Amino acid sequence: MTRALRLIRRRLIGSIAVLLIVIIGTFLLLEAAPGDAVDAYVVSVGGDASMIEELRRRWGLDQSAATRFAIYISSLARLDLGHSVAFSRPNLDVILERLPNTLLLMGSATALSFCLGTFLGIVAGSRPGSFRDRFLSIGSLALYAVPGFWLGLVLVVVFSVQLRWLPLGGIETIASGKTGAARALDMARHLVLPVASLGVIYLALYLRMMRAGMAEVWRMDFVLAARARGIARRRIVLRHVARNALLPLVTMLGLQSAAMLGGSVVIESVFSVPGLGRLAQEAVASRDTPLLLGIILVSAVLVILVNLAVDLLYAALDPRVGSSGEAA
Amino acid sequence: MSDFAISRRGVLAGSTFLLASTALPAALWAQTPSKGGRLIVAADSEPRNLNPAIVASNGVFFVASKVVEPLAEASFTGKDGLEPRLATSWEGSADGLTVSFKLREGVTWHDGKPFTSADVAFSALQVWKPLQNLGRVVFKDLEAVDTPDEHTAIFRFARPTPFQLIRNALPALTSVVPKHLYEVGEIADNPANTAPVGTGPFKFAEHRPGEYYRLEKNDAYWGQDQPKLDEIIYRVLPDRAAAAGALEAEEIHLAAFSAVPLADLERISKVPGIKVVSKGYEALTYQLVVEINHRRKELADRKVRQAIAHAIDKDFVVKTIFLGYATASTGPVPRIDVQFYSSGVPAHSFDVDKANALLDEAGYKRGDGGTRFALKLLPAPYFNETKQFGDYLRQALAEIGIDAELVNNDAAAHQKAVYADHAFDLAIAPTVFRGDPAISTTILVQSGIPDGVPFSNQGGYANPELDALIAKAAETLDPDERIALYVDFQRMVAEDLPLINVAEWGFITVARSSVKEVSNNPRWAVSNWADTWIEG
Amino acid sequence: MIALRRFLRTPEAVAGALILAALLAMALSASWFFPRDPQSIAGPALLRPFQDWTLPLGTDRLGRDVLAGLFHGARTSLAVGLAAAAGAILIGAVVGTLAGFAGGVADEILMRITDAFQTVPGFLLALAFVSVAGPSLATVIVAITLGAWTGPARIARAEVLSIRERDYVAGARVIGMHPLEIVFREILPNALPPVLALSSVIVAAAILTEAALSFLGLGDPNRVTWGGMIAEGRAVLRSAPYLSIIPGVALVLTVLGVYLAGEGLVETSAARRMNA
Repeated sequence: MTRALRLIRRRLIGSIAVLLIVIIGTFLLLEAAPGDAVDAYVVSVGGDASMIEELRRRWGLDQSAATRFAIYISSLARLDLGHSVAFSRPNLDVILERLPNTLLLMGSATALSFCLGTFLGIVAGSRPGSFRDRFLSIGSLALYAVPGFWLGLVLVVVFSVQLRWLPLGGIETIASGKTGAARALDMARHLVLPVASLGVIYLALYLRMMRAGMAEVWRMDFVLAARARGIARRRIVLRHVARNALLPLVTMLGLQSAAMLGGSVVIESVFSVPGLGRLAQEAVASRDTPLLLGIILVSAVLVILVNLAVDLLYAALDPRVGSSGEAA
Repeated sequence: MSDFAISRRGVLAGSTFLLASTALPAALWAQTPSKGGRLIVAADSEPRNLNPAIVASNGVFFVASKVVEPLAEASFTGKDGLEPRLATSWEGSADGLTVSFKLREGVTWHDGKPFTSADVAFSALQVWKPLQNLGRVVFKDLEAVDTPDEHTAIFRFARPTPFQLIRNALPALTSVVPKHLYEVGEIADNPANTAPVGTGPFKFAEHRPGEYYRLEKNDAYWGQDQPKLDEIIYRVLPDRAAAAGALEAEEIHLAAFSAVPLADLERISKVPGIKVVSKGYEALTYQLVVEINHRRKELADRKVRQAIAHAIDKDFVVKTIFLGYATASTGPVPRIDVQFYSSGVPAHSFDVDKANALLDEAGYKRGDGGTRFALKLLPAPYFNETKQFGDYLRQALAEIGIDAELVNNDAAAHQKAVYADHAFDLAIAPTVFRGDPAISTTILVQSGIPDGVPFSNQGGYANPELDALIAKAAETLDPDERIALYVDFQRMVAEDLPLINVAEWGFITVARSSVKEVSNNPRWAVSNWADTWIEG
Repeated sequence: MIALRRFLRTPEAVAGALILAALLAMALSASWFFPRDPQSIAGPALLRPFQDWTLPLGTDRLGRDVLAGLFHGARTSLAVGLAAAAGAILIGAVVGTLAGFAGGVADEILMRITDAFQTVPGFLLALAFVSVAGPSLATVIVAITLGAWTGPARIARAEVLSIRERDYVAGARVIGMHPLEIVFREILPNALPPVLALSSVIVAAAILTEAALSFLGLGDPNRVTWGGMIAEGRAVLRSAPYLSIIPGVALVLTVLGVYLAGEGLVETSAARRMNA
């Protein structure tokens, strides 16, 4: 366990530096933006120069950039992400309200692409070069080439509007008053299409990686030995080949988390899912600098945490321990 | 006037405009309204401030008008186009210095406190006059509000203010907020701005950001046997393409403000159980305007502006961009306004040859590649139609040798670029006509407006003669004299083209057929829906 | 020649190469076949495909020629894909090589910056960047590049680390070559092939990201893009589905072509290296 602790400590130290760079970067980017939150507010409200000036003063936007940055950093240290202009509430509250929906979407989509991708990868990789291998790899690649938003649009028309099997957007039936299992079922129904749009696309990654990994393991000595000993093919596939090819896929989970988060921005827009991605779009549209900074920061933290978890998982499943026993 | 909404595919048969609709009594639906039920409507944005007394905009009214009521509402049949709400009668003095309101008795706020003249006085002096976007213009000379008793409010003005203007402003500008909740603390920070408290038929229940607003029936509402509905839910569907699907899948009952794209109306009108209604927006007319930056030397030349006006095929705009759900503009006042509209203004017909000749005459010959000069074109991002018109205008300008570069911005950046930084040559704006030139179209051409005021003259145009006319009209008390001045105003604007009026349009409501009493007043989408009901 | 023959032996690679060739032909011939601005109004609005042979794929909401849009859109997609990939590989190779060669604090700093860029979801970064800098072709390319250079940087660094200790580098050091000269003349050329192998993935991702940005309304309004066409068609998805389907299919085919051809290339070069 000490090894895990050391890993965590090393990662955390690195993460703080990374976060600092993220904060500086996004702050600079948004400083360069034309139009600030007051301009955005005035769009909807209307107002004259004196009111605009007053708002700038009240929201601290009349300070110098350096001062604002210093204030921002010091409040971050107290886990205060600032105040959202668009929502007139603390950023952290707004973000945390949306975060679970995005986590649910991302988590389900990741699970879908990982499980289905791995399974199909095993199917494809168990007979390298066969028709089904070729079909699955090309088919998954074709899916990987589909823009998520376009797939979403098509699925909505088919399954929600034409067939009416599934709801066409949102995260749950609005103001339904459902609780417990009924609510969970309701949310699951709402998640089917967005999760499919997001998850099916990334399936190819796992499928192809699994297949490539298996192709390599097939050539290894212990597999050749097992085959020589006349062990059933299915058993070899599952116990030896797939098992050893699975580990690198776990690292992929971490690497893909940022891409999934990015992909969910568009998917949330297509399916009106009130998540972090749509919040980011709203923040961009209303020039809510502090909120957008907060979202980027929270996503960065999320990605760091996922990667940390993946590292720990990987350490726990150290390949050298598992495979050496088998190979003997 | 009836050609305002050209129902060119017969989609809207039976619901053409004003004339026909005023003749449509509620009795047409010869059914007894059933009570109860939940109405789910599409909302495309989530206004952060829901106080209509501060933010008099349609996005806010759409939700807040059911909760917070004005003194009077627009009406197809009422005298002067008005119907009483919180005021039962109103009267202006001959000198234009006072307006008296008789207020409704027996009205209570949603928290149980009685509604009195003190609330009206407070709203007028503390909110409308200093804080409201439009109230600042109309009530700028309001000095005091006398409250001789609990149900009388007398507005006193320092300078003569036309009663006609006050009357026209009643539906949009006079939402009354409770004094007892707003008198403590900063009005701008009051919690009731996000969870409004009013006297309306519905009480504000909850807002789930990104998901919905929920309003509940007000059992103590003053209207007899009203409201009919138990609940109204505004489902947030920021994506315009989603509303049509949601209606068909029966996930929502109603989509107002053309939330269903115009191009989809023909198809959806044929879906059983769905109706398409074009009335109910008569007092919410939008104008499609090309704003011009007169600081650009080419555009300061009237001939160039005329050439641009001649290059625009308004017919194409109406037919293809608005699919017939609009009408071509002749000048700064829309045809729908029977009070002020004048057709006797110089017209700029679609004539590319003439446009080219005018530009040659002005000295801007075509250079190599056929281009005379280049400019930046900023379409406002608020509506599909403004963006599409931007695409069209770029092409129309190319025909006369002007190379327009489109600059797309989000709302905030557009606002800043056009109205604060003046970093545009041409811009496309959807401006609202608010039933009186004094609070709408004059602001777009009048000089001396400070930088940064949105939807105002920020193009650097200054015409002392026009300014004098506008100032005079603002003080003229006699309605007919006032109208005559605005007729002059329309002629001068059409002549000198400080901006180009292209088209004017109202919106379309698409609803399930089970929703009744839809579009029964000229501001229906932003009125209180107390009589709307759903068939069992 | 052998490589070419090997490349041509896999049907997938051939299919990919054909798609890319078609795309390239479309992009290059766009102005020749459709000399008019593809955004100009060419006919009646919402004309369905195969009705009028002068407008074979029909027209959109404003009457713009869909086929012309498809051709000119190919140009945009290709330009964005290639420019973003070139930018990402250039930045990645330089950063990775410098980090790997310099080591120490410089390496640490450069790699933390790489980490930071990898930690922020690329699409979120692109969204923020375009919304700040304003939508134009150049900003879209930069925005995509910002999120794409980290992969090449990591691979370049890893390659450099392994090359750094090889004999010929040590030799160059001994004869007194300037370190920068060593980096760019000896190390970078050898570290580049594995980095270049990433290019097809980057091109494909760039094309998809551009489409998604255009879809959200953050594309260059003066240029036709497939993503923008899909977004426009979305409002009439039910009554005129072809407006979203045609550019969508073009996108899928293009990206698939890039993947297939890229994979074929990588396999061919891998086989060549194994044989060498």
